[in-house]
Amino acid sequence: MAVDELQAIIQRCQILEESDFRGEDFNLFQVAGQKCLEDGYAAQLLEVIQNEKNKVIIKNMGWNLISPLVRCILAYKQEDDKRDDKREHCLKILDQLVQLCNPKELFLGLLEQIEQTSGEKVCPTVMLLLQPLQTVLLKLQNKKAYSVGLSLAMIMNQLTPLPVPYTKQQIQEDKLGLCQCCNAVVDFAKPFVNEVVKNMEKSSEYNDMELKEELLKFCMKSLKYPLLTAQLEQLEGIEEQPFRHFATEIIVSVVKMNYIFLHHKGKRSYWENQEFEDIERKNSADSLACLSYLMFVQHFGINCFPMVFSPSYLLQCNMTHIEVLVVVFCLFASFFSHPQDLFENCLLRMEDNSLLHQYLEFRDFINVPQDLVKVMTLCPIEHLRKKSLNMLQLFIDKFDAEGKYTLFRCLLKTSNHAGVEGYIIQKIKDQIHLSLTKAHDNVWFTRHHLISLLDLVLFLPEGAETDLLQNSDRIMASLNLLRYLVIKDCESDNQTGVWTTLAKIEKNFLKPLHVGLNMSKAHYEAEIKNKRENRRVYSLTVSEEKMPAMTTEMQLQVLHSALFTFDLIESVLARVEELIEVKVKATGIKA
Amino acid sequence: MTTDEGTKPEGEVQAAALAERGEDITPARDRGVLKIIKRPGNDDESPMIGDKVYVHYKGKLANGKKFDSSRDRNEPFVFSLGKGQVIKAWDIGVATMKKGEVCYLLCKPEYAYGAAGSAPKIPSNATLFFEVELLDFKGEDLFEDGGIIRRIKRKGEGYSNPNEGATVEIHLEGFCGGTRFDCKDVKFVVGEGEDHDIPIGIDKALEKMQRGEHCVLYLGPRYGFGEAGKPKYGIQANAELVYEVTLKSFEKAKESWEMDTKEKLEQAAIVKEKGTMYFKEGKYLQAVIQYGKIVSWLEMEYGLSEKESKASDSFLLAAFLNLAMCYLKLREYTKAVECCDKALGLDQDNEKGLYRRGEARLLMNEFELAKCDFQKVLEVNPQNKAARSQISVCQKKTKEHNERDRRIYANMFTKFAERDAKALIQNSSKQKPMHGVL
Repeated sequence: MAVDELQAIIQRCQILEESDFRGEDFNLFQVAGQKCLEDGYAAQLLEVIQNEKNKVIIKNMGWNLISPLVRCILAYKQEDDKRDDKREHCLKILDQLVQLCNPKELFLGLLEQIEQTSGEKVCPTVMLLLQPLQTVLLKLQNKKAYSVGLSLAMIMNQLTPLPVPYTKQQIQEDKLGLCQCCNAVVDFAKPFVNEVVKNMEKSSEYNDMELKEELLKFCMKSLKYPLLTAQLEQLEGIEEQPFRHFATEIIVSVVKMNYIFLHHKGKRSYWENQEFEDIERKNSADSLACLSYLMFVQHFGINCFPMVFSPSYLLQCNMTHIEVLVVVFCLFASFFSHPQDLFENCLLRMEDNSLLHQYLEFRDFINVPQDLVKVMTLCPIEHLRKKSLNMLQLFIDKFDAEGKYTLFRCLLKTSNHAGVEGYIIQKIKDQIHLSLTKAHDNVWFTRHHLISLLDLVLFLPEGAETDLLQNSDRIMASLNLLRYLVIKDCESDNQTGVWTTLAKIEKNFLKPLHVGLNMSKAHYEAEIKNKRENRRVYSLTVSEEKMPAMTTEMQLQVLHSALFTFDLIESVLARVEELIEVKVKATGIKA
Repeated sequence: MTTDEGTKPEGEVQAAALAERGEDITPARDRGVLKIIKRPGNDDESPMIGDKVYVHYKGKLANGKKFDSSRDRNEPFVFSLGKGQVIKAWDIGVATMKKGEVCYLLCKPEYAYGAAGSAPKIPSNATLFFEVELLDFKGEDLFEDGGIIRRIKRKGEGYSNPNEGATVEIHLEGFCGGTRFDCKDVKFVVGEGEDHDIPIGIDKALEKMQRGEHCVLYLGPRYGFGEAGKPKYGIQANAELVYEVTLKSFEKAKESWEMDTKEKLEQAAIVKEKGTMYFKEGKYLQAVIQYGKIVSWLEMEYGLSEKESKASDSFLLAAFLNLAMCYLKLREYTKAVECCDKALGLDQDNEKGLYRRGEARLLMNEFELAKCDFQKVLEVNPQNKAARSQISVCQKKTKEHNERDRRIYANMFTKFAERDAKALIQNSSKQKPMHGVL
């Protein structure tokens, strides 16, 4: 019987000196102990362990039992309540081992268990072993910082493959136990953080640098996973949102350890701390972006942030983070709008028209709006598209006239999307309107600057061959702009310069548009006729999936609506030309 | 009386005193920032624009509520003066301070956070009260490597800087060891100052200057005339230089997104020539700038026609290969390897790319990797004698390296062995736990 075997080996060892234990004894002890556990004699094993006489044996050999013990405890957990007392005994054994065993070996034994777990067992195992691990670590004399770092890194590495709960329901359910586990890990780290803080207060000498660095690495890692992609808003019905709690604790630790949020790395980042430069450089962009989001949008730790920075500088510093967030959130196809929220937070601090155009010389200031355009045109999630458009609008509003001008130019050249181009053209019209109606004139939306901008607007990208249907948004907006110009700006004033450049507009825009309209209309009319005559069903494949066949009626409908668009364009075009003609005739200007 | 009760009225008294007899220090004389000196400085020097300044401060709202204090964080607050990093009141206020001075500032919202406020601490339209102590300041370290220190004598206009390739008109005076060796008005393209005997540090600094700015630049040897010195001016090797520069005007080079593909390709041909010219003269930093332009224009360009794409790839390949060569000469081996990697990404069997990567790795003491590269060179071109001899260099170096390691560790190992033997005797009967973790 297992218990007898155990008694036998114990009795043999009781009379030996510590230094006389042999390898064989270790093996026998482990095998017997394991068997006791497997056969359900946990209570008896506990008795043996608690026996004062066996103290030395347990100190040396006890750690061998960690592995079977953990296996047992986790197995009991999955079964029903009647095994509760056995589980209870096992837990007590674990507790005893933690008290009695040699810390160094026990530490490795515990860590090994965490290393070997995977999948849905990760969180239960980690939760079970955190407390013992903490106790052991606090007892360790040598290499404590290294061991704490190793433990935290190991735990985080094991957690990282787990999916982060996303919806409210998932968070409440916490199927894999990740939410609970994260908060347990932070509690685990607390005494070590406090130790660092205490030592920092005691002396300015950095004797604890190593531990501090390990803990900061952990915080940075946590910011990247799970916080970067986690739900961080308050949720109705969940009193203590686990990720918010976790985030608070992490930030508190970061702040306590004086990882002060300085700046001054110029455009790169404003979290400077020379001691941790390597942490900062390596892989920390995501973490810092998350930290920034938590501080500015969620106000975690904002109390420790210097309150003397100018709003434009804050925006400048955050642009890098916003860019990082946009990329990460697109990559994860995230439903959350962290990048947009951080952007909004920074922009709302600024007054309209107050952002100097020179900021556009920073790469992020040009990149972020282009990224937003990509989200607006490519993202499948509607509220993100809408929010991005709002942010783009807000961003444009904040710039001075030259900034708006440059931004328009850039977006016209880079968006590759008729809808966005149409939107920008409309914005240009608004700016011209402001320049013409406001008392002080604005050089950027009148005369030669405007003309060079109009060159980008009033033309057809591929002349008469341009796909008018695809570009209809852009073309309609351009025609509207032109109509506005010829109505609003008297040819005698010619404030906008449109009358000077009329010949060019005719050549690059109006004439090819006429030709294009005629060609397109003829083509679509022929197509309709064709379709009516031989009614065939076409099939269409989109990314290897066959789309439902379009009936001839549906096809005809599409073709008719195209024709309708052409008619619309044509009527506005006619109106514009009429206006031009009238005005030209009246003054005798030759176009 | 507790401290809290004590400071609150004090704060209000200070604010009232400021409003009454504070000095208006705004350029507009609109009483937007009022100042009283609490303790005069011990030095007569004030910080210059762009200087890195170290302060301790405490900020309060009109109701006396403290909203921020650097002392609570136990660390001085550092920022660049006059660059718009901080609220306007601070840029104005700190510039008037002397080293060691403590002063009170009362700031109207227009000089602080305005109508928007700054959530969550500063409400809309808040007047702020600060106590500021100027601890220290120093010239701006332009590249954070101590190589170029700038002190601005007169601030330029706006925020716009010349970029690489911009045409600038400047006045400069160069000093070395207190003697003036150069004084001229000159117009040139940023990145090509060498054509006018202007060291690279000036090109680099110009990219951070504004129109009308007048500053003093302290250049380390790397940003000066380097190891070669400048015999024309009688400047020795590795000399430190001081320049006084005024940026009179400039015209920026086009940004990448402003150029179309055709223009980029045309320009690429021109800068490639220029880069090669600098390279031949041994001006590697200058050559890097020229080749770098090709990369910045063409690396991310897409939507090219087949013909354009071919031309673009050939420019990029040449640029990466030449950059690799420059970095080898500049002893920046990691960058050299990066460039070779990119070149090999375009043409995986490129002989020069492989050879140069081998060279760089050899110099980084990565002998095995270097050897691989040279062997690949031989696969591509068995006639390459240089590669053949490099392989034997690699082998020799590996051997030497191993020998040296052996010598270094030999002692250590003997000691370990002795200690272990002792331990073994002591614990001969005790089983040592073995673990897979560590």
